[in-house]
Amino acid sequence: MRYDTARLADFSVLRGEERKTGVDRVFLVLVLILLAFGVIMVLSASFPRASYDPAHVTGGRASYYFVRQLIFACAGVGAMLLCSRFPMGFYRRFAPHFTAATLLLLALVPLIGVKANGSRRWLGVGSLTLQPSELAKLAVILLFAAMICRRRGRMRSFREGILPFALILAVIVGLLMLEPHFSASIIILSIGAVMIFLGGAPLGWFAAAFGAAGAALGVLLVFFPYASTRISTWRDPFSSSSNEGYQIVQSLYTIGSGGLGGVGLGASRQKYLYLPEEHNDFIFSVLCEELGFLGAAMVLLLFALLILRGYRIALRCRDPFSFLVSAGITTLLALQVFLNVAVVTNLLPCTGISLPLFSYGGTALILQLAEMGIVLSASRESEPA
Amino acid sequence: MSKNKWKTVPGIGMLRRTLFLMAVCGIASFALLLGRLYKLQVTDHERYESLALSQQLREASGSPARGTIYDRRLFPLAVSASVDNVYLSPVEIEMNGEDKDLIADQLSQILGLPREEIYEKASRSGSWYVTVARKVERETAQRVREFKNEYGVSGVRLETDTKRYYPNASLCCHVIGFVGTDNVGLEGIEAQYNAFLEGSAGKTLREVNAYGADLLFEEYAEHIAGARGCDLVTTIDSTIQYYVEKHLRQAVVDYDVRNGAGAIAMDVNTGAILAMASLENYDLNDFLAVGEEAQSVVDAAPNAEEAHELLRAFQQRQWRNKALSDTYEPGSTFKIITLSMALDCGAVSLSDGFYCPGHVSVVGRTSPIRCWKDGGHGSQTLTQAVQHSCNAAFVNIGLRVGAERFYRYCDAFGFLTLTDDPDENLSASTGIDLAGESGSIWWSRNTFCSERNLSQLAAASFGQTFTITPLQLVTAVSACVNGGRLMKPFVVGEILAPDGTTLLRREPEMVRRVISEETSEKVRGILEQVVGDPDEGTGRNAAVAGYRIGGKTGTSEKVSLEAATGEKQYIVSFIGFAPADDPQIALLVFLDTPSTETGIYISGGQMAAPLVGKMMADILPYLGVLPEYSETERERMDAVVPQTVGKSLGDAALTLLDAGLRWRMIGEGDTVTAQLPAAHCEIARGTEIILYLGAEISNEKESVPNLIGMRYNDARDMLSSLGIYIHSLSAVLDGESQCVGTQSLPEGAPAAHGSVIEVSLLSSDDDILGRY
Repeated sequence: MRYDTARLADFSVLRGEERKTGVDRVFLVLVLILLAFGVIMVLSASFPRASYDPAHVTGGRASYYFVRQLIFACAGVGAMLLCSRFPMGFYRRFAPHFTAATLLLLALVPLIGVKANGSRRWLGVGSLTLQPSELAKLAVILLFAAMICRRRGRMRSFREGILPFALILAVIVGLLMLEPHFSASIIILSIGAVMIFLGGAPLGWFAAAFGAAGAALGVLLVFFPYASTRISTWRDPFSSSSNEGYQIVQSLYTIGSGGLGGVGLGASRQKYLYLPEEHNDFIFSVLCEELGFLGAAMVLLLFALLILRGYRIALRCRDPFSFLVSAGITTLLALQVFLNVAVVTNLLPCTGISLPLFSYGGTALILQLAEMGIVLSASRESEPA
Repeated sequence: MSKNKWKTVPGIGMLRRTLFLMAVCGIASFALLLGRLYKLQVTDHERYESLALSQQLREASGSPARGTIYDRRLFPLAVSASVDNVYLSPVEIEMNGEDKDLIADQLSQILGLPREEIYEKASRSGSWYVTVARKVERETAQRVREFKNEYGVSGVRLETDTKRYYPNASLCCHVIGFVGTDNVGLEGIEAQYNAFLEGSAGKTLREVNAYGADLLFEEYAEHIAGARGCDLVTTIDSTIQYYVEKHLRQAVVDYDVRNGAGAIAMDVNTGAILAMASLENYDLNDFLAVGEEAQSVVDAAPNAEEAHELLRAFQQRQWRNKALSDTYEPGSTFKIITLSMALDCGAVSLSDGFYCPGHVSVVGRTSPIRCWKDGGHGSQTLTQAVQHSCNAAFVNIGLRVGAERFYRYCDAFGFLTLTDDPDENLSASTGIDLAGESGSIWWSRNTFCSERNLSQLAAASFGQTFTITPLQLVTAVSACVNGGRLMKPFVVGEILAPDGTTLLRREPEMVRRVISEETSEKVRGILEQVVGDPDEGTGRNAAVAGYRIGGKTGTSEKVSLEAATGEKQYIVSFIGFAPADDPQIALLVFLDTPSTETGIYISGGQMAAPLVGKMMADILPYLGVLPEYSETERERMDAVVPQTVGKSLGDAALTLLDAGLRWRMIGEGDTVTAQLPAAHCEIARGTEIILYLGAEISNEKESVPNLIGMRYNDARDMLSSLGIYIHSLSAVLDGESQCVGTQSLPEGAPAAHGSVIEVSLLSSDDDILGRY
């Protein structure tokens, strides 16, 4: 009941504040700039693929992917604005429900999911598909933030500060491994760890966790030839440029072709079916080719500003939940941007991670914008700048 | 709740941890990514770009339009025309699901290629470029294009290429040369001037998608315009070349020449090559094909490998330009050089007398050198010694010049290049702008200039014991008669840029002055007597009525060959120049190994001299040199038959008398109704023609008799009694003593009444026959 009282108290107090401070304009504008950039890049990157793709998919329109992405972007902006209007207490209250629903969907994926490329990751309703793993990322942030708030002061103990969180992560990752979905597992484990880290869990546990992760990776490499192939492909993609290394080699060609100033917007040659996933996971490579190092650096700078602004919002939050959620979402964003760019530039072994706000994909985009909306909501409740 | 309380919500610990995350996620990670991008995009940009381009670009390089080769009057000798290569893109055929059967059927019909072959090529999935036909003519390519458009087949493609055409087929083939399938010149001017002719290839850089198909928009193809090659204006005169080849080919047949023949016509004043021939010829448009005889040898080869080897050998042989690649002992034609140097250095003078006892002893030789004439020429003036081509006299002349001086002159004439090493065998070449020139071979200075052994000098004086190229000889002889200037021979006079402006013009290049103007004049005078003197000149068979021609005969034994096979073989040659008082053209012909079985004595004077005469008779009028006939020449020249049909008998008789012809009549009447031969034919003077006075004209045929060896007037009378007529291509100096050497229709061939048989004449003076 204490919980409920606090919730009601929060509601009433914060409602009063809401009228005084609007959303963080800088954050909003950065999101919209990046989104606009992203949609334009989808147009540029996807039209060759759309032209070559069978007409029964695209209706013979080269703009097929772009139009869909534009619709999703509009829907996403709507979702963002909507999410920014819900008070943070709302999210705190429904975090467990949301998590439960997500777990249900995750459990459904291995049973009725849509299979593609050897993995079953999507739930499909008509032409709409949903990756529950995307939902799981948000669920972990919201649920953990709520749990940490309840465990204020008790986070230093293993039983309170680590164990419950670890169990929840184990369940989610376990379900993801059934798909299997390696990259989502990593992100969820990482974001979970970041949440506990921010929640005040003792640092010693993180050292132990890193050790365990290293050992697990070692075991993986020894027992799963698939994984070790990935490592050798990562180390020298050119030795297998026509099979395993093809994707990454093409990505490097694409990025390297851009040079300092790029070949010009729309003028990428690599997007003509050389580069796989050119409007999804490798859209940043096309951006690098067309806009060059300067364009790519500008986009990364915008992302960096957005992320720093997100942390600033978190630091100005007046309640722990808002702080934890905005810091968590910001970290999730940073993590995805970093992993995507690191993969397409072959800093890290290849794995499927999309670039937030850029990569083609409806539900992911809507969800990312909704997450941004939650941060905006938190910004309403923060100290005025 | 105070504001302060809220402010502490994140707590100091949380603040620290958040700042740590900010630093890691907001700054450090981006710094890392930017560093990585900088390396890929800026540091390694070129490497990745070139790798990417290598997969993105398909280069289709059309051949550039190769420059035209013109003769000196801008008649084209070699031209390039645009053609197409037809190729398939099986990947696109598969991608677009195009009908391979249709493609195979249509293309095999249009291109005349086996259907299965095309079908197999169209089925090579994974390939985007399979050539079906190279260098397809425009019309055929147009049909392929129509088929392509009609059925919308994108897997059938065309690219432009160029093809070389030689309008004159085999004319001047060795000088022009040819190009290979890759449009690179392989022989002759085509090879030598390839860099100028070839131009730069136009390229079409097609940007293609990962399947090798065109990108979505045509503008993505980049055309890099090629530059047309430069045109060359050669010094070759097609007409002179034609005359030279025509007569040379006839001579090869007439004298059954076994090992080919060659000729060079040079502008004596500039060194420009007007004609250069080497037989056997080959068709430049089909340069791989060998003659019928050679092909039958190839076909008879026991296996494919041997056949290939044989074919290669025959091809190499037919491509060889004998005029500058073969070296030979020039024999007596070299006496011009010995004469020139001896006159120039004052070793002899026009008033000197020489006695020829038939042989001459030389220091260092065990046996005396024999003159070609048994019993010797007796007492002779210098001019007579040259006229007689007397070896004994020339040995004396050579000895008077002396070995050292002889070699210095040979150096000056471009036959050898003196070096510091006295034991080195010496060599030189003219440096003509043609590929394949050989160098001469001479004894080392120590051997040649030995005082204890003059046999080398003695033999060299009449053109033996060394080998030179025909080109070297004609270049040096030109210097002897043009006033003493050794000109560097050349075949390309002007290079024209693609826009038609002159890029390079070759000015005649004087290598050096070799002999004085006065000496040259004396040499000209003496050499004119070799041809012009009908009594004593060994070169008189080269005489052309109305023209002043100088020259010298030559007959050389192929010594090395004789040593190897024991068989005596000869190269007979003649070098002439005209007009003798103001030379414009020098003409050397040589016949390698004429048959001993034609009945004609193997000598330059009997075989090569009349050949040069016939060539000069065609070339000099063409060059605009007007004939000046002497009274006797005029009397003996062949006559042109006047038109008498329709005239009264009296008028006809007067006209014929005027023309120097006789007549007989068939039929009764006063008016000529027909005549044999027809008006405007050239026939021997004094021929009896037939006038028909109302009678039916005969259209029977007669069998041609053998005329060879008959006196010209006898042959004339014998033929006219049959109703056939005779015309001499040689100068008719004396119809009573000149004999028929060759005849245009062979013995036994049918000839209609009124036809004219062309013959060449030889001097039949037995006294002067010999190896000269």
